[in-house]
Amino acid sequence: MEESNTLSKTETEPVNEQTSISFSLNGEHMMLEVDPTRRLIDILRDDLALTGTKISCGIGRCGACSVLINNQLVNACLVMAYQVDESNITTIETIDKEKGTLPIIQRAFLEEGGFQCGYCTPGMIMAVKSLIDENPNPTEDEIRQALSGNLCRCTGYGGIIRSVERVIRDLQVEV
Amino acid sequence: MHHPQQSNAKQKKIRPDGRSKVTGSLKYLSDLSFPDMLYGKIVRSSYPHARILSINTEKAEALAGVYGVITHEDVPGLNGFGIITPDQPVLCKDKVLYVGDAIAAVAATSIEIAEQAIQLIEVDYETLPVIDDPEKALKEDAPLLGKDGNVLHRAGHKKGDVNKALDESYVILEETYQVPRQMHAYMETEGGVVVPEEDGGISVYIGTQHGFKDRFQLSRILGIEEEKIRIISSPMGGSFGGKDELNIQPYGALLALKTGRPVKIHQTRKESMISGLKRHPMKISVKTGVDQKGNILAYQAKIVADTGAYATLGPAILDFAVEHATGPYIIPNVEVEGVSVYTNNGVSGEFRGFGGNQVTFALEGQMDRIAEKLNLDPVELRRRNIRKATDLGPLGQRIAETDGASNVLESISKSLQIKQQKSKRSETRYTVRGTGIALTMHGGGLGYGRLDPAGGRLSLTEKGKIEIAFGFEEVGQGIIAVIETIVTEELGCSPDDLSILIGDTKYVPSSGSTTASRGTSMVWHAMQRMKEPFKRLILEKAAAILDIPVMQLQLSNGGVIASEGGGTFISYEVIAKSIGDKEKIVVSTNFDFPTTPDEIDSGHFLYAFSGVLAEVEINVLTGNVRVVALDQAVAAGPVVNEMGYVGQIEGGGVMALGYTLMEEAKMVDSKYVTENFDSYLIPGIYDVPYKMNTEKIEKLAKGDPYGPRGVGEIGNVAVAPAIVKAIHDATGHWVSKLPVSSEEIVTAVSQRGKKRWKKVIH
Repeated sequence: MEESNTLSKTETEPVNEQTSISFSLNGEHMMLEVDPTRRLIDILRDDLALTGTKISCGIGRCGACSVLINNQLVNACLVMAYQVDESNITTIETIDKEKGTLPIIQRAFLEEGGFQCGYCTPGMIMAVKSLIDENPNPTEDEIRQALSGNLCRCTGYGGIIRSVERVIRDLQVEV
Repeated sequence: MHHPQQSNAKQKKIRPDGRSKVTGSLKYLSDLSFPDMLYGKIVRSSYPHARILSINTEKAEALAGVYGVITHEDVPGLNGFGIITPDQPVLCKDKVLYVGDAIAAVAATSIEIAEQAIQLIEVDYETLPVIDDPEKALKEDAPLLGKDGNVLHRAGHKKGDVNKALDESYVILEETYQVPRQMHAYMETEGGVVVPEEDGGISVYIGTQHGFKDRFQLSRILGIEEEKIRIISSPMGGSFGGKDELNIQPYGALLALKTGRPVKIHQTRKESMISGLKRHPMKISVKTGVDQKGNILAYQAKIVADTGAYATLGPAILDFAVEHATGPYIIPNVEVEGVSVYTNNGVSGEFRGFGGNQVTFALEGQMDRIAEKLNLDPVELRRRNIRKATDLGPLGQRIAETDGASNVLESISKSLQIKQQKSKRSETRYTVRGTGIALTMHGGGLGYGRLDPAGGRLSLTEKGKIEIAFGFEEVGQGIIAVIETIVTEELGCSPDDLSILIGDTKYVPSSGSTTASRGTSMVWHAMQRMKEPFKRLILEKAAAILDIPVMQLQLSNGGVIASEGGGTFISYEVIAKSIGDKEKIVVSTNFDFPTTPDEIDSGHFLYAFSGVLAEVEINVLTGNVRVVALDQAVAAGPVVNEMGYVGQIEGGGVMALGYTLMEEAKMVDSKYVTENFDSYLIPGIYDVPYKMNTEKIEKLAKGDPYGPRGVGEIGNVAVAPAIVKAIHDATGHWVSKLPVSSEEIVTAVSQRGKKRWKKVIH
C-alpha cells in the first residue's frame, strides 16, 4: 500500500493551486493559503475550528451556516474562499468574546425559549442580528421575511418569534 | 411542581445548556476534532435490490491519503444491527435490499480524498426485481425479501362482533387513508468521531437516544466486550426518534479499529436522507358503524405499513398503531388488523408519535365524516363516545385513571367556538377559512412485556457537589433543564449545588432509552425513590458535625440549614470533606416504567392527551393551504418546565403541520427523489401561525402517584386530522391522502363552485 500511495500521489494533488486570501474575522485580521474554491463553511469549521457556525443542508436552503459578510447575511456553504478576500466576516463567535452579560438577542433567545436542540440557533441569531441592525422595530411580516431562510425543526418558530419580539421590546426600553 | 405559585419562576427558567447554545460555543459531537483524525465515507448501494457479484477496493486502497477501507470481510462479530432483530447488515456481502445499504467504507486524511476513494470502489451488481410497494410485496408471486417472507409482523386487536354491529348500524362509513414517508429532518445530520483506545477498546462520540443500547449493539458487531466501549452520546442537534437506531457508529468504529486513528464521519444531508430512518407510510382502510344517535357501534381497520428493507422497531410501531387505532373512544365492537411489510424502500422506524399519528389521522377523519353524515356537531359526536376516567385502555387493559380525554375535548371545543366566530369574517374574495379539531390519546413508555428499565444515581462528590446522573440523552428536548428543576425542587438545594451527568456510558447509570415520552416521567419517578434516602445520608452527616438532631435540619442552597433558621449552616463542601475515603454518600435506584397489571402485550398504562384546534386559510385560485391557527389543549400531568413543555407542543405541532401539508420523502422505483431541503420541504417561519396557544391541563386523578407524563410526542399526533377537518370546513372537500395536494384542493373547489361549497359548511 505504501508503494502505490507514492505512485498515485501526483494524480491526487488538488486541482486548484493554493491562493492567498485575507479577511477580517470577528475583528481579527486573517491571512490564509487556501484552495480558492474551498467553501467558507469548511474554512470556518475545519481550518479555523470555529464550529459555532453549523452545516446542515450544504445547498443554501436551511441557514444553519448563516454568517455576515460585510454586514450582509449569507450562507457560508455557498461562498467560496476567493469571494471573501478583503471582506469583513462576522460569525456567532464574535458574541462569545464579550464575556459577562449576553447581548440582547442572545439573552432573548435564552429567556424566551428561542432554541431547543440549538443547532439552528447560531444561524438564526445571525439572521436576527442582520434584521435588527437594519430595522430595530420590524413588523410581523418583516420578521417572517428576515428569518425565512433559516429552518428550525424543534421549536415550530413560536419561541423564536417570542424572542424577536422580546428583542424589539428590550431595544425600545434601552432607547 | 406541587406549588402553583412557582409557575412564574419556572416559566423563565433558563436551560442549563442554553448559554452555550446561543453563543455557539457548545461542541456538538459532529463538531469534534482529535489529533491525527481521519475522515470516513460510506459507500451505499447503487440499486434498491441487487445481488452483489464482486467488490473491488484495490484502487481506493491505493489512493494517497487513504488509510483504511472496510467491507463485510472486516466485520469481526455479527454483521448485523437492529434494536430488536439485527437483520440489517453492517456491510452487505452478497445482496442489497435498499439504496441505504452500506457496502464499504473508507477513512482518509480529508473528506475530499475519502469522497474520491469511495468513487474508486468497484461494485458489480446483478439487479433484481424491485418491490416498491407493500401491496406488491404481499402478492403470492412476489420475490422474498425477508428471511421468512415479506411479512415482517402482524398485529391485531378484536372485541365484540364487528360484522354484526356493522349490519345493525344506521350509517356505515368506509374510507381509506394514506399517509406519507416523513423525514425527521434533525438539523444536525448523523455525525461524530470514534477514537481507538489503548486497551483495544473505543470511545464513540456519536449521538444516540440510548447510549447503552449502542454499546450493546457495537459490542456484538465488533466482538469487543461492552466494558471496553464508551459511548458519549449527548448533545444532539435533534433526533425525534431518528437517531434511536445505529446509524454511522459501526463504520466509524470499524475504521477506527482498523486504522488505529480517530475517525470522523458526518453525513451530508443527502447521505442522511438516503440512509436515515423515516416515519412509516401507511395505508389504513376503515369501516365505521354508528347508530342514529351517534354512538359508534363498530370500528374495523386494516393497516398496511411499509417498513422498508429492515425491521428496526417496525413491529413495535405496528403494535402501537393497533393499540391506538380507536384512540380515546369506547367502541363496543372493534377489529383492527395490521401488517408491516418488507419492501425495497427506505427503512421506516422510530419517529415521534410511533405509529399513533397515522391511525389518529384515520380515526379522527372517520369521526368528522360521520358527524357530517349524521348532521351532528363533531364535538358532540366525540363527547358521546369518549372514554370516562375509569374506563379500560384501548386493548381492554387497566390503565392509570385519567379524565384527560374529556378535559382536552372540553377545553379545545371552547377555543373552537371562539375561533369559529371570527374565522369566516376574515375571508376575502379569493380566500376561504375553516376550522377543525381532533383528539388523541398517547401511551408513554414501551408498553407491557417490553424491557423498559429506568434508573438514576444521586451522590455527593468530593468537592461537595450534588451529582445527579442519568443515562438519558439531550436531543434538544431539554432533559437537562428537567433534571435541574425536579432535583432542586425535590431536594431543596439550588442549581449551583448540582452537577448533572448524562450521555456518557462511562459515568452514568442505565436509565433506559430517551424515547417514548419517558424521560421527564422517569426522572421524576427516580427522584421520588432517591430523595429521602439521599437527604437522610446528608442530614445524618450534618447532624453529627453540628451536633443538632437530624429532625431539625434540612437541605438548602449551598448546604444544610436548621429548619427553624437561626443562621445554622454547613456547606455541602464541608460535609463532603468530613467524609472518609471509604465512606460515600451515594444512592441509586433501578425500576421499571409502570405498566398495566394485565398481561396484554404492548399495552400502555400512562397516557397523555391532546386536543388540537386548526384554522386554515385557503386560496381558492391556487389551492394553497395556510394554517393560521394551531392551538392545543394538553393533559399530561404537572408541568415541570413551562418553556420546555410549550416548546414541545408547538414544535411537535409544526412538525405535524409539515407532515400534513408539505413533507414527503418520495420514492420512485424505491429510489429517493427528494434528496435535500430543496425538494423535501419542511415548515419555515412563513408556514406557521404567528402565535400558537397551549392550554396546559395539569390536573391528575385523585391520589395519582405517577407524576408528570412526558410531552415529547403528544403535540405531534392529532394535528393532521384537525387541519384536514378545517380544509373541509372551508371547502367542503375531504382529504384522505397526505400531504395535502394543492392541486386536489383547487380541483375540488373548482368543481363545486364557490357558492355551493360555501353552503356545505355544517
